[in-house]
Amino acid sequence: MTDTEIHLKKFQKELSAGMVSLVLLSVLGQAKEPMYGYQIAKRFEGAGEAVLTGKQSALYPVLRNLSASGLLDSFVEPSVSGPPRRYYQITKDGRAVLSEWANTWNATRSFVDSILKGDSHE
Amino acid sequence: MSNNTNTPKTIPEYLELLRAALKGKDPALVQDALYDAEEYLRAELAENPGQDEATVLEKVASSYGAPEEVAEIYNEREVAVSDAFRSPRASIPQSKSSTGVASVGVSVNKKPQNPIAWFFGVAADPRAYAALFYMLLSMFTGIFYFTWAVTGLSMSLGFMVLIIGIPFAVLFMGSVWALSLVEGRLVETMLGVRMPRRPAYVNHEGGFLTRIKEILVDPRTWATLLYMLLMLPLGIIYFTVAVTALALSLSFLLAPVAYLMGYADNITLSWDGVTMVDQPWVMLPMFIGGALGVFVTLHVARGIGKLHGMMAKHLLVKIA
Repeated sequence: MTDTEIHLKKFQKELSAGMVSLVLLSVLGQAKEPMYGYQIAKRFEGAGEAVLTGKQSALYPVLRNLSASGLLDSFVEPSVSGPPRRYYQITKDGRAVLSEWANTWNATRSFVDSILKGDSHE
Repeated sequence: MSNNTNTPKTIPEYLELLRAALKGKDPALVQDALYDAEEYLRAELAENPGQDEATVLEKVASSYGAPEEVAEIYNEREVAVSDAFRSPRASIPQSKSSTGVASVGVSVNKKPQNPIAWFFGVAADPRAYAALFYMLLSMFTGIFYFTWAVTGLSMSLGFMVLIIGIPFAVLFMGSVWALSLVEGRLVETMLGVRMPRRPAYVNHEGGFLTRIKEILVDPRTWATLLYMLLMLPLGIIYFTVAVTALALSLSFLLAPVAYLMGYADNITLSWDGVTMVDQPWVMLPMFIGGALGVFVTLHVARGIGKLHGMMAKHLLVKIA
């Protein structure tokens, strides 16, 4: 692994720490019905995957934490294909927090964008 | 870097590797990690009906992560203290049994419907033997805790007039916290109640005196001391109950054996000097009674173990 790659990995890790919660919450905020871990993980496949999670296994502990802090509700249902699945859905608190987070994210993004473009000439 | 030699071919193999990679970690964490992985793997397998397990697992290494990577991720996330205090889920298939788990899980936790099966099933429950052993052990730990608590408390009070009074008291309180963790290990391994592995959070800010004050006002300190004092009478009771019940049922169980081996003259059963047994036929009900007694003893041990575990959890784990 080259130096640049190490720096990239470290940056991705730091970036993902807060972002994963936001994305998970928003995925569940848009969901019509409760989703279980695997379904949620599959939504992450594709573009943002590498940056946000690295590996999809990282999502599960975050789901558990969100649920422990009352932003998500969860219940267990038996399944034919494996162990009983834990389904998650967003709570009222979760929706309130999600909109706050989304605002913060939007503000942060436009700030970072403007800095990166370098068009903040005083 | 990621290409390891032992790529799992089946889901149980994958879980076994994950378990090995998480060896020595918090049981609650290991349990959660295995649970999540199995859910993902089985779902992935169900999504790709055409492919065999090995192919699916190869793909999983890059999406979900190889066992070692998953273990690393869970280690990093272990911070969630609340998870550690949650009682473990009993429905997780333990160790090697994960081969045929397709539909187990939900019903494992339920007691068998048949009361007879329930009564005799206790003999197959390792928890019952462990609890019995804990009852025997508790007299010795009880005597030690009681002595430690009483000596430490009275010496701390006595030294208060001297300059070494406060340091001594602080050291003693520290030893009480350490002993509470040790007892927590005993309770968890023998009685199966989830106990904390790490000491409760201590605020490291503030001066020496504020920290001493914090130890003294912490209800857990006093609850632990109370537990240590209680362990003496409880330990004696547990020990007596266990020894009496075991001796009674085992001697009843073995008396017929001794009778058959020709030691009939050595067997006496008397109450207040009145001999109850002098007929050979009595041996049969004795044998049956002794056998039932063994099962009853195991049930009593398991019950006491459960109660004691609950008490230990209340007194030793911080009341939030």
